[in-house]
Amino acid sequence: MSRFILHMNNELFFGVRHFALHAMPYALCALLLTLLSCSTDEPSPQPEPYQPTPYEIDIPYGFPTILNIPADNPMTVEGVELGRKLFYDGRLSGRTHPDSLMSCGTCHLQEKSFECGIDHPEFTNGFTHGITGTPTPHVMLPLINLVWNSNGYIWNGLVAPENPSMIYGNLEDLVWMGVAAEHEMNSDTTRVKELFQSIPGYPELFEKAFGSQTVTMDRIAKAIAQFVRTLISSNSKFDKYMRGEVQLSPEELRGFVLFTTEEGADCFHCHGGYGNPLFTTNKYYNNGKDSIFDDPRDRYAITGDPMDKGAYKATTLRNIELTGPYMHDGRFATLDEVIEFYSHDLVNTPQIDPLMHHIANGGIQLTPIEKSDLKAFIKTLRDDEILNNPDFQAP
Amino acid sequence: MKTTINPFIFFVIISGYILMLASCNENGGDPPTPSPAKINFHFTQYNDGVPQEYDTMKYVNAAGNPYLVNEIQYFVSDVTLHFDDGKTQLLDGWKDIHYVDTDLPETHTWQVFDDIESGTVDRVSFTFGISEAKNQSLMFLNPPERDMFWPEYLGGGYHYMKLNGKWLADDNQVKPFDFHLGVGQIYSGGVVHVDSITGFVQNYFEVNLPNSSFTIAEGDTLNFEIRMQVENWFQNPNTYNHDEWGGDIMQQQAAMHLGCENGREDVFGFYQLQEK
Repeated sequence: MSRFILHMNNELFFGVRHFALHAMPYALCALLLTLLSCSTDEPSPQPEPYQPTPYEIDIPYGFPTILNIPADNPMTVEGVELGRKLFYDGRLSGRTHPDSLMSCGTCHLQEKSFECGIDHPEFTNGFTHGITGTPTPHVMLPLINLVWNSNGYIWNGLVAPENPSMIYGNLEDLVWMGVAAEHEMNSDTTRVKELFQSIPGYPELFEKAFGSQTVTMDRIAKAIAQFVRTLISSNSKFDKYMRGEVQLSPEELRGFVLFTTEEGADCFHCHGGYGNPLFTTNKYYNNGKDSIFDDPRDRYAITGDPMDKGAYKATTLRNIELTGPYMHDGRFATLDEVIEFYSHDLVNTPQIDPLMHHIANGGIQLTPIEKSDLKAFIKTLRDDEILNNPDFQAP
Repeated sequence: MKTTINPFIFFVIISGYILMLASCNENGGDPPTPSPAKINFHFTQYNDGVPQEYDTMKYVNAAGNPYLVNEIQYFVSDVTLHFDDGKTQLLDGWKDIHYVDTDLPETHTWQVFDDIESGTVDRVSFTFGISEAKNQSLMFLNPPERDMFWPEYLGGGYHYMKLNGKWLADDNQVKPFDFHLGVGQIYSGGVVHVDSITGFVQNYFEVNLPNSSFTIAEGDTLNFEIRMQVENWFQNPNTYNHDEWGGDIMQQQAAMHLGCENGREDVFGFYQLQEK
């Protein structure tokens, strides 16, 4: 046995030596070529495969189950994290000077339900303007519960899948608009993407989110849209009441009755209620504010239907006490003024929505006590959880 | 006794068997299964015999009110086929409640999921609105059906119908009307407030579609129009006057009752759209 092994070892030895003698020159050449080919690059570790973590949205009680998440921008933990960082990064304006920074978070304040509110230090009475001072055409809308909005964004629904223009389709396009619009960041998207490409750390975050370190405006918009879709308000006092966790006060309950009955204030047809806890239908109504319609950005500008003149989106009433001034043009500073308008000051025109049936009396004709009750109920829609959620704060 | 098989007979038997199998293969195996019969419903709205026009004050109801229609949204449920042999077929595959919205073309056609039994259908019936057993709050979480919710205080569930428009009132003002049908309330002492509610009234009703007899066989796909004749909500047997009932009737059971009686009578028609 040992001799056989020795023989075999000898065979193996001579075989190897034979191969080495003849093949060695080729192997050396190959090794040299390999080394030469690598000599221009730094040796780098094997990149981790692109494996983002799906971001799951828990559907709150009574909320819609259909989410507006486009197929080409699925929600991921990494995408949301990047979006949050970008949302609050003032260099989104394409500028780096401290005086020229502007991000989404500059105006969309968490403590104001991601709206600017009426007491923003930079914007007098809640009337916003772009980075170069150009006034925004309308006051802001809050960025909450937008993952459940499939009926168009901004006051007239310009940004909607039905819009034949490819640049106004969904929330991603709204981000793009925010960066480029003169009355917002007034930035150049090429400059923005090049800037973020050059900022250490960002390419790695883009790789985690999108599988590539290349920064594009499309990816910036997608990431921010993912973050905005996480901004969910579902834990107001009224939500807890719906879930049977708390009781409303007698005043709040009286206000709820007014809110949800035709003989009361009849708010629910446009603003929802127990059966629609978003507190908006996301539809567009002429609610009787004016008799002359000269705003080039009303719903009529989108549909071309003359009956849509003076119509605007019904806003969500969640956190509405924080999001003044009110109406598309911010004409009302307080909730009291809004309630007074609906109570006594409606204007009848051919365009007024039929749901405004109280127009025959000039309004809903609430008494002072009823106004107080209605306001008390509306305040139950304040959701302190979203206002303080650390996941939504600047990273 | 030892028995043997003649090789010739064995050959004939095997050959015959093979030929039989081959002949089956040539015919494609089992006979083809006929496709099931299907039906589609197309929901339309007419006024004074022609398709409804919207947002134009061109109509006059039986009470003499000039009026316009802005939009109509309604539920049709529990559609049932009544066959001539006494059998019935409830169309409840995937859904038994269909929503129609004049602003949403995708709601105007219902491609019924159910396979339809062959035979002669004497009549078609449906529930206008939603029956009490099925009309549960929060069963529709998504728009557009969600936006039909009927407030809890007023009975809960969902509107059967929203017919929104305007009329020229007797004081010569154009006023909105929301002809909304759903669960009614009974108020004590004539005080229309939720604190005075002593009971609820289920206003949904069955519609037996006139002239809805048809014959259907395997392989057929038949299309039917279910036509709402809008002006009939305001006439026969009751003349409905907007000046009398005003713009909102969700808390006026008497007005909803009149409307439902009219609806049961002759608001809906049935038409076969094409031959099989």
